[in-house]
Amino acid sequence: MSEIFAAVSGFFLPALLALILVHGFVKKAPVYDLFVEGCREGIQAAVEITPYIIAVFLVIQIMTDSGALDLLERLCEPLLTPLGIPEELISFMIMRPVSGSGTLAIIENIADTYGPDSFLCRCASVMMGSSETILYAVAVYFGATHVKKMRHTVTAGVVGYVVGIWLSVLLCRIM
Amino acid sequence: MGFLCYAAGQSPSGEGFGNFTQGMLQSCEDAVYFVIGLIGIMGLWSGFMNIARGSGLIHALAEKSRSFMRYLFPKEKNEETIMMMLMGFAANIFGAGNSATVFSLQAMKMLDEENGRREEASDEMCMFAAVNMSMLQLVPITVIQIRANAGSASPEDIILPSVLSGAAATAASVLVCRYYERRRSLHRGGRISAR
Repeated sequence: MSEIFAAVSGFFLPALLALILVHGFVKKAPVYDLFVEGCREGIQAAVEITPYIIAVFLVIQIMTDSGALDLLERLCEPLLTPLGIPEELISFMIMRPVSGSGTLAIIENIADTYGPDSFLCRCASVMMGSSETILYAVAVYFGATHVKKMRHTVTAGVVGYVVGIWLSVLLCRIM
Repeated sequence: MGFLCYAAGQSPSGEGFGNFTQGMLQSCEDAVYFVIGLIGIMGLWSGFMNIARGSGLIHALAEKSRSFMRYLFPKEKNEETIMMMLMGFAANIFGAGNSATVFSLQAMKMLDEENGRREEASDEMCMFAAVNMSMLQLVPITVIQIRANAGSASPEDIILPSVLSGAAATAASVLVCRYYERRRSLHRGGRISAR
């Protein structure tokens, strides 16, 4: 089953590129000129967001290095344990919204310590698959805009995140 | 940014500072490498999206996806923006990492223009960012790989629970956005409908 999914995933981008090209040729559009023009705009956009990307990377690095995340972890512990969330996973949950590579490192560590088919590792894996690096995403997305007030974006993201995490634990208990 | 102040205050003293500074500088360097990687992908996709716009493909596909996108973004009229957002979702689902970032960034820039570059985010921006943040990857390949490497008996058995809880997370985010949108339009009363 997962092989089929993986194949479709790998097929998606090349198929999309081919579709756009073939459609362009069939409609006799000036394919190359259009590509160059769009490409130039894309490069400009990428350069424009560089300052925001640097800021995001910097803040995340400082948060992890300074121990701010550890503190957050200790603050959250008494809130999360009553919900049935294993304490070994709390550092994972705090790390997940800010850093994808950081969380992968934690999963590897859990897989080594408790075994890949243990409840903890399955739980962490499901959490990984059902959530995103929300803080990082918010910072990068809105960095590309002129927005200063993000209104309910973060609330919506965090509610979604918590629902995903909590359901992950629940599903791992019963499945 | 409050975190930044706290973090600066908490930062370890003595020789820990050397590592701390090192980490900071390293992260800036990483950010630039990340952008350099992004420039190529961004150029590629922007170029191809421009072809699709010129050839009329975007128009044709936007027609087809109309009903789904209209539910999430009832006020969005611009076909190109709708397509860009749809591409962002699709790239996320298929786990096309950096390409997904590119589509999402471009979509946010387009929404920003439509929002008149105002300082307050539009409903569409909030909805798009929220949905995109909780959008799941259909097959979390990296995690499966980690478990397989560690000798798991069935590394793929996490897919179903991941998809289920991810879908619930997305639904929750959409509902939160809807709630705030409703509240705001009620709050503003007739003024917004008169516009």
